[in-house]
Amino acid sequence: MKQFQKEFNALLEYWPDEDREFRELRLKAFDQFKKIGFPTKKWEEWQFTDFSLIKNSDFHLSWDSDIPTIPKNIPGRIQDTYLILIVNGHYQPQLSDIPDEVSVVKRKEHFKKNPELYSIESSSNPFLSLNTSMMNSGLPIYIKENAIIKRPLQIIYLTTNLSAKLMNHPRFSCQIGENAEATIIEHYTGSTSSPYFTNAVSSINLEKNSRLNHIRIQEEDLNSNHTAFTSYTLDNQSQLEATYISSGSLLFRHNVKLILKNKGANATVNGLSLTKTNQHHDQHIIVDHASDSCQSDQLFKYILSDRSSGVFNGKVIVREKTKQTNANQSNKNLLLSPNALMNANPQLEIYADDVKCSHGSTTGQIDSEALFYLRSRGISQQRAMELIVSGFAKDIIDYIKNTDIKSYISEYVFNWLEGSMKNV
Amino acid sequence: MLEIKNLHAGIDGKEILKGLDLTIKAGELHAIMGRNGSGKSTLANIITGRENYEVTSGTVKFNGNNILDMSPENRALEGIFMSFQYPVVIPGVNNTYFLRAALNSKLKHNELKEVNAADFMRLIREKLKLVEMDEKYLSRAVNDGFSGGEKKKNEILQMLTLEPQLSILDETDSGLDIDALRIIAQGVNNFRNSERSFLAITHYQRLLDHMKPDFIHVLIDGKIVKSGGMSLAQELEEKGYSWLEA
Ligand SMILES: Nc1ncnc2c1ncn2[C@@H]1O[C@H](COP(=O)(O)OP(=O)(O)O)[C@@H](O)[C@H]1O
Ligand SMILES: [Mg+2]
Repeated sequence: MKQFQKEFNALLEYWPDEDREFRELRLKAFDQFKKIGFPTKKWEEWQFTDFSLIKNSDFHLSWDSDIPTIPKNIPGRIQDTYLILIVNGHYQPQLSDIPDEVSVVKRKEHFKKNPELYSIESSSNPFLSLNTSMMNSGLPIYIKENAIIKRPLQIIYLTTNLSAKLMNHPRFSCQIGENAEATIIEHYTGSTSSPYFTNAVSSINLEKNSRLNHIRIQEEDLNSNHTAFTSYTLDNQSQLEATYISSGSLLFRHNVKLILKNKGANATVNGLSLTKTNQHHDQHIIVDHASDSCQSDQLFKYILSDRSSGVFNGKVIVREKTKQTNANQSNKNLLLSPNALMNANPQLEIYADDVKCSHGSTTGQIDSEALFYLRSRGISQQRAMELIVSGFAKDIIDYIKNTDIKSYISEYVFNWLEGSMKNV
Repeated sequence: MLEIKNLHAGIDGKEILKGLDLTIKAGELHAIMGRNGSGKSTLANIITGRENYEVTSGTVKFNGNNILDMSPENRALEGIFMSFQYPVVIPGVNNTYFLRAALNSKLKHNELKEVNAADFMRLIREKLKLVEMDEKYLSRAVNDGFSGGEKKKNEILQMLTLEPQLSILDETDSGLDIDALRIIAQGVNNFRNSERSFLAITHYQRLLDHMKPDFIHVLIDGKIVKSGGMSLAQELEEKGYSWLEA
């Protein structure tokens, strides 16, 4: 905690003439963070994850001196996309390429206009408080109403060439205007020999009848820790298709809160988590049906090898008096090693009658019948396992419609499999 | 080609095959008949190398080589094939992709050039016609959403594509309607030649009527108790198995 206090003080000093109200928000948030503290094993919603690595480490905030020379070929760059590039926490406008329909708003203005998006009053998540107190990176963007953005917008958070243990608290705020359509890739990538800590918060609002395709790729260096909070609010008839592909970080914790706020909103959230060595991935998803005729579909898959572990905690809430709710939640996990461990807890909280719901969770190993079938056709054991495991991941990848993103992710998943199935 | 001597084998400490002898020469089609549970699939699984079976004594030779220590994939590459009694669904693995991967491992093993996607499509379309299978089954996952009959056709399609020396057909006729049975029998018959051997496991004479086996064997309690020609099948159809039981 001392280290965080020190860094917080340094931050206040670094930006002495910040807006007064914004500064108050930071102070309040840091107080709240100190009060809540780091999660312990006793907190029910956090019990399977050990945060001592973050708590006891001496991460410092990234300053201008931490901007490295930026590689010519930006890692993770997906073909035919717009770009917002953030390197070691620092926005690189000169290398970014933003379409006219997207306006980048100043943080202060965004805060003045939408103070509710920064409210931490009802939150008990210490990482949200921490991010709010130290947010030092990330942009608020607004997609104009009726805009149809054909090419995806890729936001790359690159961590590279660290000379010390860095932390960043990126804050992404995104509003999709009425009738607008966009694909946004939130992409965390890193390669460094030094440990680092990313604590991201994204708040995404879909206005009436808008459509967002949100791809979140987390391929941070295995030296890192990544905590994140993503919130979505969906207005009338808006549609969200979200896909999370996560293979990075030693410790990864992602909280998602999705509110279907007004009639006819529709959300699909899929996730694929790939872990090896002693990685730990923990995802908590809350989908809140707060209005009529809304639909939500979730499919979360984990592939775990070596001594890695995973947690999936998914909760669907259907509020009182809502009508015509359709909610599905499915979690499937594949253990590639006898030492891998999965904790799954799908939950439903239903306070209404007019509801169609399904949920379930399964955890298993590679099907030995399928393995024998493939081998009996002359396919090597190694290749047969790769086929079965990539077959397991396929429906998540197939859901991605943009072909450039899909081919990036297919290749990425394939490389991961090839690399981690050698020891199985 | 296949030579099995005094084979004793079982699973989980339970003996299922109790001294089985069987020799199949190149070009021959042998049929094995027997009640449910007599050990027919066990025999097929042991020849193809499924794990978990224990062979306690005896030998299984293929082209003169002892195969019991070989992996399933190496047996397949040497030319052994089984049409599964219960073909497995493999979610997310595209049928065409799988078929080409299987063919290419075989081509590679035989030091031949692997086939590219376009050439493979030409080849597989020809084979599809032979089993009167719709092309839509190529784009699905392996056996996913296939009817019982389509699954069995898919097995024969694989046989025709991989061109094994020894094909074991484990109840390929079970659950087929008359048309499908005719198509599959025809597929097998056209595939027969003087180099290829077959072991057909079945309960029904009707498959044998189509295929005209050279030998018929009756398996009871893990042993072949009687062997003969087509007339034996007829006798079994009339009298059942009890007259052969001790
Ligand atoms: N995996 C297994 N575990 C235990 N017993 C088995 C297994 N497979 C087969 N058996 C037993 O072995 C015997 C022979 O089975 P099987 O070879 O499948 O017979 P068939 O194909 O002739 O109907 C049966 O009694 C069956 O219950
Ligand atoms: Mg059987």
